[in-house]
Parts: sequence; structure tokens; C-alpha cells
Amino acid sequence: MPSYQWIVPRDSVPFEKRQQVAVACTDIHCGSTGAPRSFVHVTFHEYDGESERSTPYFLDAGNRAGRPEEVKKKLMSDLLAAFTRITGVSPDAVSGRLSEGPGRWSMEAGMVLPEAGEEGPEWYTAEAAAD
Amino acid sequence: MISFNCRIQEGVIPDDLRPTLSSELARISAEALGGSAEDVEVEYEVIPHGFGFRGGEISTTSTVRGLLAEPLDQETRVGLLHQLCDMWCEVTGCSIHEVIVSVRDP
Repeated sequence: MPSYQWIVPRDSVPFEKRQQVAVACTDIHCGSTGAPRSFVHVTFHEYDGESERSTPYFLDAGNRAGRPEEVKKKLMSDLLAAFTRITGVSPDAVSGRLSEGPGRWSMEAGMVLPEAGEEGPEWYTAEAAAD
Repeated sequence: MISFNCRIQEGVIPDDLRPTLSSELARISAEALGGSAEDVEVEYEVIPHGFGFRGGEISTTSTVRGLLAEPLDQETRVGLLHQLCDMWCEVTGCSIHEVIVSVRDP
């Protein structure tokens, strides 16, 4: 966690753009939450034919629960804006959703995740070791 | 019981390890949750090289996502998470920083 999966038409986003989007997502998430960079996972899933979502480009985001609503809204807004800026895709063609779950359901770096906002200094130290 | 979606990066986990990983995921889950290992479903999703990133860099991290059929108490969940994580590292040789495991309530 967090997980940001971009669902895009096949061959529509080249590697260089994917990497730029991944870096932007990492910057935005870490700037918003204070999380270490190694915490942020970004994947791209390509599809053929018609999109099953409301828009051709879609961000399926997964985060730990517990952040204020305004933080979540700004996070999603900034992520979608970064994608359109980097790829040149029209904002009308991009949308997303944010799913949340308790941190205690997951283990990363051998530790059960703390809930959002309840991270102690030991968590950041251990995560930084992954870099 | 539980079903697993294993998201792995292309070229990181050899294909011939999948049967061992699947049987171990099933065995550990059945021991922790009760029931039969045969009822545990495991699927793999391979992320092509250049399509998965961690911290903005190419990722080597595997994500093992378990979805329960019934809610689970946290003590049992934590024990299961540790066992699954340790097994994954032992079988694949990856580091503890290259695997994320979740066991989610329905």
C-alpha cells in the first residue's frame, strides 16, 4: 500500500510516460501523506477493445483507511491531473476511484501495517531500509 | 475459506515455483483457518516488465492478496500473515522488502 493501478488502452502510454506517471504518483502521495517513497506502488494494466469503466483511462487506487475526506479528494484530483499533464490525455477521458481498507489487514516489510496517521518512527525507518 | 491473487513482476518469480507456492499458500491457510487445502484458490497475475513501479522505479515486489470468505480475528490474521510472508521469501528467495501480503475480510 498504497496501490495505484492505471487501466489504459493497449499501447496508449509508452514506457517513458509510464515511468513519469509513476514518479508523479509517488511524489504526490508522499507529499500528501508523508509516506516514504518505497511505500508507493504504481502499475499499468492495458486492455483491448472498449473500456468497462466510465472513461477510457481509469485510476483504481487502494489506500489505507482513515484519512480525512479533503485529503483523499485532493490526492485523487492531483493524481488525475498529473496523468493528463504527462500523457496529454484529455481530462474528460480520465477518472478514478479510491478504495480503502484497514492497514492491519496487510503486511509489508515483515510488519503489519499501522493505520493511516498512526505510524510510529520505527515504521518509517524500516520502510526506508527497502530503498 | 480464502482465495489468493498473486501479482508478480515478470521475470522475478520463476514459473516453476508456482506449484510449490500454491500448495504452500493452501497448506498454511488451511492449517490456520481450518477446512481443506483443496478449497483454497490461487491465481497469478504477471505484471509485464516496465509496467510495475515501486517508489517510481521498476518494481520487483510481489503482492499476495488473500480474500476471506468470512471475517477473521486479528490474532489469527497476524499469525497467518507472518507464515505466508516467511514462506514466500523462503521459496522465492526474495527479501522481506519484496513481498506484500494481505488477508482481507469479505
